[in-house]
Amino acid sequence: MSRRPRRLAALCLAGVMLAVSACGGGPSESEDGAVELRFGWWGNNDRADATQKVIDAFQAKNPGITVKGSYTDFNSYFDRLATEVAAGRAPDVITLGGAYPREYGDRGALLDLSKVSLKTDKIGTAALDNGKFGGVQYGVPSGVNAIATVINPAVFDKAGVEVPDGDTWTWDDFKRVSTELSGKLPKGTFALADPTRSDMLDAYSRQRGEALYTADGKVAISAKTLVDWWTMTLELRDAGASPPASQTAELITQPAPEQTLMGRGLAAMQFDWSNQLTALTKAAGTPLKLIRVPGESDATQPGMWLQASQIYSINARSEHPEEAAKFVDFLVNSADAGKIILADRGIPANSDVREGIASVLGEEEKAQAEFIDDLTPKAGPPLVIGPAGSTDTPKILDRVNAEVLFGRQKPAEAAADFIQQVGTAIQQ
Amino acid sequence: MSNRPTPAIASPEREPPLARGRRRRRRSSPSGPARDRIGYLFLAPWFAGMALFTVGPILASLYLSFTEYTLLKPPEWLGLDNYRQMLADPRLHKSLGVTFVYVSVSVPVQLVLALALALLLNRGVRGLSFYRSVYYLPSLLAGSVSVAILWRQIFGKDGLVNQLLAMAGIEGVSWVAHPDFALGTLIVLNAWTFGAPMVIFLAGLRQIPHSYYEAAEVDGAGPVSRFFRITLPLLTPIIFFNLVLQLIGAFQSFTQAFVISGGRGGPSDATLLYTLYLYERGFGSFDMGYASAMAWVLLAVIAVLTGLNFLFAKRWVFYGN
Repeated sequence: MSRRPRRLAALCLAGVMLAVSACGGGPSESEDGAVELRFGWWGNNDRADATQKVIDAFQAKNPGITVKGSYTDFNSYFDRLATEVAAGRAPDVITLGGAYPREYGDRGALLDLSKVSLKTDKIGTAALDNGKFGGVQYGVPSGVNAIATVINPAVFDKAGVEVPDGDTWTWDDFKRVSTELSGKLPKGTFALADPTRSDMLDAYSRQRGEALYTADGKVAISAKTLVDWWTMTLELRDAGASPPASQTAELITQPAPEQTLMGRGLAAMQFDWSNQLTALTKAAGTPLKLIRVPGESDATQPGMWLQASQIYSINARSEHPEEAAKFVDFLVNSADAGKIILADRGIPANSDVREGIASVLGEEEKAQAEFIDDLTPKAGPPLVIGPAGSTDTPKILDRVNAEVLFGRQKPAEAAADFIQQVGTAIQQ
Repeated sequence: MSNRPTPAIASPEREPPLARGRRRRRRSSPSGPARDRIGYLFLAPWFAGMALFTVGPILASLYLSFTEYTLLKPPEWLGLDNYRQMLADPRLHKSLGVTFVYVSVSVPVQLVLALALALLLNRGVRGLSFYRSVYYLPSLLAGSVSVAILWRQIFGKDGLVNQLLAMAGIEGVSWVAHPDFALGTLIVLNAWTFGAPMVIFLAGLRQIPHSYYEAAEVDGAGPVSRFFRITLPLLTPIIFFNLVLQLIGAFQSFTQAFVISGGRGGPSDATLLYTLYLYERGFGSFDMGYASAMAWVLLAVIAVLTGLNFLFAKRWVFYGN
């Protein structure tokens, strides 16, 4: 028991201390004293390139701030975000969409934007309201968006079927066109992928004076509406206008535009968000166009609506809320950023930015802008955003829809099941 | 024999260096409590990690399982509500069913494959180490995301399997996305990882003394009865070991099902393994309390099954005299 073991002990301890202190390094400030922000978003590689350019432009203007972007595809984005938020390591600037701003806002994870200096006076109120819940502005919209029918005219031509008129077509027209296409298209090409998705149910039920949710956060869609919907999609499936059940189930697990039937040039139509037009066109390698969803003209009320395509919000626990606000301000209010992002995150919600980029828009972006402009006077009432828990709805719908497509549930059973499951999810 | 006088048979030339060495060692290395202390010191980083990253979270999850915890607000005490809710949760029951089918098919298939291959390789194949490595590879790879993606491609609508079927004029479905077949593709993937138990079987086969076989052969035993009377009984401890390990592992399978089903356990919950549902409740629906309760139930299920395994082992596992 001389000095050697003690020296050894000291060495070991030093090693442990070193290891521990290495874990505890502060992430927020880099060596040169610059503030480091993290920015989380979802998307494909093209969006990643554009986003990095925006970050570079922001950093050039704000030498004291560095921004680190991190992204995944849409399906895994929210799983990852939930984990990061739970661990207290969520990005400073968080991209959200749909019902998520409310979900996170209600749970206290987002900063009240009135506490930081962020200008929103040039942003359209319809889109701005998508980030406002209980009187608190939790996020600002990246742009404006609408659910639409994406058309591949080349596939229509090949089948010798006329592209329908988006202003007048009804659901019966839609069924007729789809069945006609399916008879004339080569094997493996379809009129469209299975059209069931929660935003389409929103549009479809709104046309009947319903919606997915009531303003006070309950299920609003009726069983009858759901039964009619599934009766139609089953007809399409049986006619070969949409793919067999197992192919649909496989497509659900591959959400990227390049993986969809439309993106692979294997579909004549696809219901999707208008801002996907650019990515879909690039993937399909042929010009695509946007028309409105069927049934708008003869509906009780128009089902389509203007929606904030994405919402930028700030982490309530961010150590640098002012710098984060500066970055969000750059994203939504700067024409420089707008010229890089173009319409990839929706038609810019800021009117100045939109004018500023008009001259540099490409074909697809112009088409989207025109589509949104054309829709604005014809859109239905603002959408009721789902309450906390409603972010489960798309998953519930995927499950129930699979039951229907694989013939395990009749539409009536599935409708009751869907309403019950969504009801349970949103009351928790 | 350390302090005994020099034995007569040992050569005197070799003795002094040995003794010197022993003395030197005694001088330099501390004995008793001091040596233990150094041992523990070396273990300290591991203990710290264990306490911080394993025991701590385990205890935390036990507490959380009695609470409602949505990640963003502090947990609220619920008592046994989560466990009560589990009794009435149809998706939980579905996921248990899926998991039991998965485990009870894939583990036996995998073990039989492993044993068969081990027997084959044990017959003195040339290039044994090469085959051993090749068959072991899937065990290293199969847990990875890339292999799961590969699986999705192979068994997808336009995948390899369907291309082969198309040559025979059969139009296949998307195997990974059909409720009747999706779980089967996962079972095949798990069975494919027979390499790890195979290597252990091989080691076990090597330990069976050759003299037994020779004696049996002299007595006129054929290859079949040699297998059932000698190989299998003497291998039972190894079979038992593999069974316990693979069973525990299979219950915790997650990655493959997660990747292949796109994180959803679909279609219509056909591949909703228990762990996948646990993950979905925890990280998809922000139900960490419920997910923690599920984790503890899984632990209990695995513990009970492993306990039963050990209990029944007395009946069939043969440890020699």
